[in-house]
Amino acid sequence: MERQTRARKFRRFAVLTVAATYILIFVGGLVRASGAGLGCPDWPKCFGRWIPPLNASQLPPDIDPALFNFTLAWIEYINRLVGVVIGLLILGTAILALRHFRKTPRILYPSLAAALLVAYQGWQGSQVVGSALEPIMVTLHMVVAFVIVSLLIYVAQQAYYLENPDAERSSGYPRYLRSWIGGLWGLTIIQVILGTQVRSQIDTAATENPLLSAAGLLAQTESLGSLHGLLGLVTAVFTWMAGRRLLRKTEYPSALVSYGTKIMIGIVTAQIIFGGILVGFGLPALVRLYHLWVASLFVGVLLILFSALRSKEGIQHE
Amino acid sequence: MNSKGALPRIFVWAAAIVLILAVIAAVTIRQADQSRADIPVLGTVPDFQYVNQNGDVYGAADLEGKITVLDFIFTSCQGACPRMSSRMAELYNRFSATDRVQFVSVSVDPARDSLAALRSYAERYGVTDDRWMFLRAPLDSVKWLSRKGFNLSDEFPAGHSTRFVLIDRKRNIRGYYRSDDKASLETLTTHITELVKW
Repeated sequence: MERQTRARKFRRFAVLTVAATYILIFVGGLVRASGAGLGCPDWPKCFGRWIPPLNASQLPPDIDPALFNFTLAWIEYINRLVGVVIGLLILGTAILALRHFRKTPRILYPSLAAALLVAYQGWQGSQVVGSALEPIMVTLHMVVAFVIVSLLIYVAQQAYYLENPDAERSSGYPRYLRSWIGGLWGLTIIQVILGTQVRSQIDTAATENPLLSAAGLLAQTESLGSLHGLLGLVTAVFTWMAGRRLLRKTEYPSALVSYGTKIMIGIVTAQIIFGGILVGFGLPALVRLYHLWVASLFVGVLLILFSALRSKEGIQHE
Repeated sequence: MNSKGALPRIFVWAAAIVLILAVIAAVTIRQADQSRADIPVLGTVPDFQYVNQNGDVYGAADLEGKITVLDFIFTSCQGACPRMSSRMAELYNRFSATDRVQFVSVSVDPARDSLAALRSYAERYGVTDDRWMFLRAPLDSVKWLSRKGFNLSDEFPAGHSTRFVLIDRKRNIRGYYRSDDKASLETLTTHITELVKW
């Protein structure tokens, strides 16, 4: 009983950390969408100060005053502040795991891995700024964020199962759906990588020709963009089919799987709409941000469903 | 998670958070866009009349109606100038799709930089049209332009400034950028793009 209470407290903390990490991914995406990545040209300080300057007269002599933009500096600075807070939350999760779940590897190791990766992510952020936003560095920063949030989701879900050992007791899922969800997760990862390549091509085209219109930029990424769109539709169709089967062909799906499936269907539908808006309406920055952020949510939901279905191994009801 | 009634409430909260984040993001992106277009006016380029590498008269009036990036160089310079001109060439290529952006390099060593030397220098950096001019004038006049016109060094030739100067179509000076700093050059690119829009 005490173990369940500890698991509940830990699960609450881990869920809070997951939610906060998603906020950080959003803020990071906002930095990119608003073009504030170089708002602070140095790292970890911003224009040589722990708090960004309020005007150009506060700039240190060794930094080019042309770089100073009050708005962009504060957007980037807030991203770093939020990053520190979430980094501490992730560290807190790892410390709690060390204290209370030292003998539970499925909680301990992912928690420690997330804490190590978040330290790496902080350092890698400095490399992103140092490279003046090299596309490969920005992509790596995003991929690491996806890995961190996936580890935290896994940890929170495992704590949930410790807290509720009977959560999936009555449920029965067709075995093939687990592979199906796993396949969708793999497809989504490929889509995320393709999406970053599309974005890199657009960034490169915009660097080589800064005056190119949105239509011109899209034309530069025609083949890769089409593949990304096509694969997106395939992912959506398989997601809808998997969702329909999960809701209709399973016996007593748990609340987690039932709501997770509905969220999964909603998210993939939103992604298709966002993708259409990006192509049809000239890559609006806000939609670019949501397209990326919702993709990170989709990866998380698929992971939750996969873990839930896997937890039923051995008691399948075909 | 185990209560059937609890999750729909979570959906409502999640939808509210997504909407609030959308509003915050929309305002932030708008503010960022506006801040990029807000480039201060730092002065006005005074009148001058020099000669370009082709022997044609080129003066301050030729700056009007175009966005100009200007620097000071000399062709026999072994230090900063080749790096500066390489960066300038990158910008020249980036903005090749428009004739609304031009580039001007003023020689700080007119004694050695003949028009032929300037033409050869232009060729070395791939200049094929009138979008990048190389100017020659008496040394005193160039010193005056650098010091009085742009508030830059006149310790010529070796001590010339390595900054790029951005000038708008009304001859207003809009910024100085380090030619040896990638982030500064990205900012310069952004500022040129913003000025072209207006």
